[in-house]
Amino acid sequence: MGRARFAYDFPHRNLLSVGALNPLDVSMLFKRAGEHFERNRTPDKKIDALRGLSQINLFFEPSTRTLASFELAGKRLGADVVNFSAGNASIKKGESLADTAETLAAMRPDLLVVRHASAGAAAFFAEVTGISTINAGDGAHEHPSQALLDTFTLTRRWGEIGGKRIAIVGDIAHSRVVRSNVSLMNLLNAEVRLCGPSTLLPANADRWGASVFHDLDEALEGCDAVMALRIQRERMGAGLIPSEREYAALYGLTHDRLELANPDCVVMHPGPMNRGVEIDAALADDPERSVILDQVESGVAVRMAILEMLAGQAPNMRYDEGEQ
Amino acid sequence: MTRYLITGARIADPASDRLYEADLRIADGFIAGIGDLDPSGEEEVIDAHGRLLAPALIDMRAHSATPGGAASAERLSQTASAAASGGIGTLILAPNGACGLSSPEDIDWLDAQALTLPVRVHGAGLATANGELNEIGLMLRAGALYLSDGGQPIADSRLVRRALSYAAGFEAWVSLRPEDAHLIADTVAHESDLSSRLGLPARPGVSERFGVERDTGLAELTGGRLILDRITTADGIAAARAARQRGLEVAITVPVSHLVFNEVDAGNFDARYRLDPPLRSEEDRLALIDALARGVVDAVVSAHTAVGSVAKANPFADAVPGTTSLHALLPALLTLVETGQLDLLSALRPVTSGPADLLGLAQGRIEEGAPADLILIDPSAPVVLGDGAVRGGAKSAFAGRRLFGKILMSFIEGAIILQP
Repeated sequence: MGRARFAYDFPHRNLLSVGALNPLDVSMLFKRAGEHFERNRTPDKKIDALRGLSQINLFFEPSTRTLASFELAGKRLGADVVNFSAGNASIKKGESLADTAETLAAMRPDLLVVRHASAGAAAFFAEVTGISTINAGDGAHEHPSQALLDTFTLTRRWGEIGGKRIAIVGDIAHSRVVRSNVSLMNLLNAEVRLCGPSTLLPANADRWGASVFHDLDEALEGCDAVMALRIQRERMGAGLIPSEREYAALYGLTHDRLELANPDCVVMHPGPMNRGVEIDAALADDPERSVILDQVESGVAVRMAILEMLAGQAPNMRYDEGEQ
Repeated sequence: MTRYLITGARIADPASDRLYEADLRIADGFIAGIGDLDPSGEEEVIDAHGRLLAPALIDMRAHSATPGGAASAERLSQTASAAASGGIGTLILAPNGACGLSSPEDIDWLDAQALTLPVRVHGAGLATANGELNEIGLMLRAGALYLSDGGQPIADSRLVRRALSYAAGFEAWVSLRPEDAHLIADTVAHESDLSSRLGLPARPGVSERFGVERDTGLAELTGGRLILDRITTADGIAAARAARQRGLEVAITVPVSHLVFNEVDAGNFDARYRLDPPLRSEEDRLALIDALARGVVDAVVSAHTAVGSVAKANPFADAVPGTTSLHALLPALLTLVETGQLDLLSALRPVTSGPADLLGLAQGRIEEGAPADLILIDPSAPVVLGDGAVRGGAKSAFAGRRLFGKILMSFIEGAIILQP
């Protein structure tokens, strides 16, 4: 008798935090995302994997690209997609978020995509409604689909991200993208560096599984990819950084600075960009360096895979060693 | 009035630092005798062999519906009943956002209400409002037991100075929540590895130390009597002890929640554990227990706050802070005894003679002539705490906790207010 053949069923109904995923989950998601990616480049983009299912995109914070990306993803899978941009309207009306959640749940959607300014909000929706929930950004906590699309972009380019060195530069403290990315890149054995002024870096970020730098030139040394984060203008008013000019001079990515990284280092940005602040316009538009539009393109494919697999409707819900 | 003879109880009296077996007679609302007593024939005999008899608890800080406060999830009568069930004999309501008590009329109102309640209820008065002093003298005359900043730090040091100085003229205690108002602005968690991973806006523990340093400095300047309200960090305890070593008369209180929980309890964004001050690190929790064991803490307070279920039904950061806790005060402390972290008298002192001595109350002690405010307990009986909440209230942070210490019977002013 040989050893039992290993088989594994994708177990997740929610995507709330990258921490819940193991490397096999990620590779199953990426395998399916790769198929969507190719199909999205053909004229016939639509399939009916989620036909009959309803998806509510519940955005309590303004968003254009993430919302559009999830909406397209749902529609290309054949789901009925409704966008619900709430601001904080219901809270102002004195309704608790649990009331809002229960009201929406009563409409019997099958998938919820939630963005909210408070950490833990997506998990809150998942718990209150019991409906499959995707965290599309909860406060400064996590944004797992963004991390998955970032890593998918790099994986497509490199084959795998294990052993690569990736720097993330900017407002680490307030970034949900960073928290998800550090978890995911660690999970896949990449080396992560975080860089920014001390006021934008939590004191204990070195315990997240990343090394911490305050000097961009040092951080960039030997990097295979560097991700610039959007710097929010309100951070300056709050006294966290002195000026846009100083930030751009110290932490702005330019062609010159990139000389310190590996020769084929790529540049990423989760968007929307402040050109000339965290990233030089010429660099953002350089097709040799910038994968920013690849990230956006990957985003739809990765979100399709996420929606499909959480709904249990992907063809590869089971990993079977013997079939690989 | 019924007289009682409680026989064979083990008596725990933190005031005299004694733990001994004796009979105890209750007559006319007072403790009429302690020792080897014979039944007089005109009294009800209560066999208390194997039980512990302690002073009924004094809770220096709880909140309930009072004039001038926002809508509360709990009426005063409900709060008082919960206190009675928790073995509390004296409940002191302190002003906060949801609890008014900012004028002598408010204190009078509370006194009038108290007549119909099963436990003794007193109030603390709000010392300042809108940058000005409230009628401190009149509130004290009406019976306010101390003054309070309303549970939130007053950013303006000059105003704090004036409140301490003015109250000092009446030898009244002023309770201040020591914290740097700017460092804690908009925060919902303790700054740590955990909160930064969770992306929660967090306050550094050092903010409490700054608060202690400022407030004790101002107490020194004014000669004011300062209560450091709800110390929750090791740094805060250390700074308070340093002030005492300089010879300052400062009192220290600790919230019961922070003896039981740490930040990890809130780590799953569970809004039940959204408290103010936020739950701290395990090192901080242990430092508070250590401070109790060393006798540094004058009072452990419930900080009981009944939050409505709607106000809690939000993500962690958006939920209203607070939990019901009157039912947890005694079991939390007795659990520290049962698990060997604290001796019995050190556990009971900050909820009996500690606050009584601080505020000049006659109860909180077991001696002849003292008010017969007593509880009979089984300190080792396991209990699973419930919600301690009224209908419509949010689930308690303590609900489901397995602790030790069951209250069997409770006397206030010599009358049984609770028995099985």
